[in-house]
Amino acid sequence: MGFSELVDTKPKTAYMLANEAVARALLEADVKVAAFYPGSPTSEILDTMGAFAPSFDDLVVEVAANEKVAFETAAGASFAGVRSFTSMKSVGLNVASDAFYSIGYTGVRGGMVLLIADDPHAHSSQSEQDGRFFAFPAHVPMLEPATAQEAHDMVAYAYELSERYGMVVMIRTTTRVNHQSSLVSVGQVKRSPRSRHPWKDVRAPYFTLSATARKLKGERLASLALMQRDAAECPFTTVSEGEGDIGIITSGVSYLYTIESLQTLGISPSVLKLGMTHPLPTATIAAFLQGKRTVVVVEELMPYLEREVRSIAQETAPHVHILGKMSGDFPYVGEYSIPVVVQGLSSALGIDGAPPYEAHRVKVEALKEGIPHRSPIFCPGCPHRATLWSVYMALKGTDYVLNNDIGCYSMYLMEPYNSSDSLLCMGASLGVSSGMQHVLSDQVVAFVGDSTFFHAALPGLVNAVHNNHNLLLVIFNNSVTAMTGQQPNPGSDFGPLPVTRLNIEQVVRGIGVEHVYPVDTFDPKGNIPIIKEALAHTGVRVVISNGPCALYNDRLRRKAGTPIVPNAVDHGVCDAIYACVRKVHCPAIQLDEATKKSVIQADLCNGCNVCAKMCPVGAINPRGGDGA
Amino acid sequence: MKDAYNIILSGVGGQGLMLLSSVFGEVCAKTGTHIVTGEQHGLSQRSGSISVHLRIGADALSPLIAYGEADLAIAMEATEALRYLEYLREGAPIVMSSRVIHPPLETAALVDAGAADHDYFALADIMERLRGVTTSIVALDALALAEKAGTARAENVVLLGAACGVKGFPLKADDAREAVERIVPPKTVEANRAAFDMGFDACCAAFEE
Ligand SMILES: Cc1ncc(C[n+]2csc(CCOP(=O)(O)OP(=O)(O)O)c2C)c(N)n1
Repeated sequence: MGFSELVDTKPKTAYMLANEAVARALLEADVKVAAFYPGSPTSEILDTMGAFAPSFDDLVVEVAANEKVAFETAAGASFAGVRSFTSMKSVGLNVASDAFYSIGYTGVRGGMVLLIADDPHAHSSQSEQDGRFFAFPAHVPMLEPATAQEAHDMVAYAYELSERYGMVVMIRTTTRVNHQSSLVSVGQVKRSPRSRHPWKDVRAPYFTLSATARKLKGERLASLALMQRDAAECPFTTVSEGEGDIGIITSGVSYLYTIESLQTLGISPSVLKLGMTHPLPTATIAAFLQGKRTVVVVEELMPYLEREVRSIAQETAPHVHILGKMSGDFPYVGEYSIPVVVQGLSSALGIDGAPPYEAHRVKVEALKEGIPHRSPIFCPGCPHRATLWSVYMALKGTDYVLNNDIGCYSMYLMEPYNSSDSLLCMGASLGVSSGMQHVLSDQVVAFVGDSTFFHAALPGLVNAVHNNHNLLLVIFNNSVTAMTGQQPNPGSDFGPLPVTRLNIEQVVRGIGVEHVYPVDTFDPKGNIPIIKEALAHTGVRVVISNGPCALYNDRLRRKAGTPIVPNAVDHGVCDAIYACVRKVHCPAIQLDEATKKSVIQADLCNGCNVCAKMCPVGAINPRGGDGA
Repeated sequence: MKDAYNIILSGVGGQGLMLLSSVFGEVCAKTGTHIVTGEQHGLSQRSGSISVHLRIGADALSPLIAYGEADLAIAMEATEALRYLEYLREGAPIVMSSRVIHPPLETAALVDAGAADHDYFALADIMERLRGVTTSIVALDALALAEKAGTARAENVVLLGAACGVKGFPLKADDAREAVERIVPPKTVEANRAAFDMGFDACCAAFEE
């Protein structure tokens, strides 16, 4: 939906992304402080809230240095008495989990909601982590929406629950919920003023230690037991009575696949859709199991519900067959879809009548044989392309190990580069390099982007300097957190609200690194000797490659009215050497089918000139070589 | 009969697929028609392969189309029409751009193999394979038409106009055109309207043949 419509305070029904619907619901819930670190598939919640911030002077929206700080910022605001929010991708909660587990004990004051999004299929994540398993050990209630409308409506419900029990509430989504658009009915936005008040007005203890910890844990478990009533009456939990002695238990987007799959198979068993998945409504599930012969559990990722349902069945209905992943009927890996659920139900229930999805797919796969892959690749104008080439050239002929990190530059591990030796999680390139330099005889090189540097690599750098390690760190300073949609990071000069820009070079020098080499990304040849010099030293050395993200830079140029001047190839000069192809791998460059000489597609070219600098005969310039 | 019209949209990152998705949404919001999409956000690089599953009708619940159940494919780039072909129903129409954007890895492989005596995976080859599932194909030089209309960026709107010429398409052409006019930057309304009409006319002409 257009932003003007989203920000308009009147109730309406409009087309929006589920993440936009969540942001709108946060406005309606009068949330005062929202802090985020971006991560797919949640980033659009941040983006939308960030866009809201200037329109509501009572609303604070911040991009935090990482998820832990974002979570703690929301926690502090809640302790001080206002509603707060944070959202993060599945692995973000690994970073924030230290605070998350403690808040499970301390509880909160102002309503506090955490949205975490898992990514079945690992579309844009390093793992298929199942975040539902965080809720139980942390004693935190959990809700799961299936649609954009539910994602919107659950926000208000979550705040009510949070305030009623003084506990943080988690909304757990998956990629196919966050990135679903549909018509959503939204309510009136009515903001209250945000005024400062003294701590004594809201003062309460928020610490947990030894005897207090044991007392608080008991209280939380008692609250969760009370919450059984809410779980049973949860407006997002529904039972539809069907025919026969078969039942299905499901939640989230799997519910949508299930309903359509049942229509496709022409069967109508009873379906229990769970809106609250911690605590699970034990009595509701037990009642659902009564009189059933078979109950199939439909859920993505790990068998979270299935194990719980099995244990409830063992107590209350031991004759019911519980089927799902553990029975081998549904897959553990990848995301679900109608074909996957149709197949799983057919297998579990021993029925025929599934459409020939697989036969159709196999037939088309054969037609697609030899189709060129279009794997993710650096954008036209991306600064990483040139930095990587310079680093590669400087390292040529040496023995080295390269520890990569998380960001667009991660693509260095893929075709055509295939040039990374490790990649664990944000910030890990430094710690891993520290361990390796104790053991290996090679040059040890670590990569990190500016956002990742501030997020989790700082302690790694502090550690390397303190312990006299011997490694080269390359920082890709492209001014933004590019991969998730060019959000600001502490090195950026903008944010949802006014910010102070941190200078990476000063930070690195402040930590005590002596050999610091700032370079201009877009001078690939000139940077080779500088990086070689860095390699020749020992100790911790840092190269900072400065050059803006192409997409961010496009935005800046558009705003400033600076034209983007595309390059062209002068075919009179071009000698078909293909340096522009082999060294650059730019999506804007392809060969003319007749002459087999390179051509640059004007609508794709970003005018970064890296290909022009690589061309040994000077055939590339903005006017195609006509004497420019 | 299930009330669901399924469209698989595909293209290359940067071609404006999301604008098309919003046009569908705008029209459905106006007419109160149920719509759900499964979109690809996330890796934000330009130039990757992208798709949007778009489903219209009261029975369309799931954000993903099942294999072989798309009633229409709209492809902003020819290779991408083939890449998502498993979603298309046998015999269902494809509205596509004839533009082929060769991925850099394909070009690099071509150069390594010897560009003089090797060729790209070409449009003719793509069309031949598409015909393994359907012969109802409208392929337009959408980029050229958009440029003629006044802006290369209206490549997507040319194809939307063309889709409106497909029999059984769930949006009225006038509603779609009007939504485009509302959504695009004010300075480009004229060019986008022209692009829309060129696509629409080209599609109608192609079906008459
Ligand atoms: C703990 C965690 N939080 C968030 C993400 C999502 N994420 C993937 S790439 C990325 C961007 C990193 O930015 P930067 O290091 O500056 O690299 P750039 O993409 O700008 O090249 C983020 C935030 C993640 N993978 N893990």
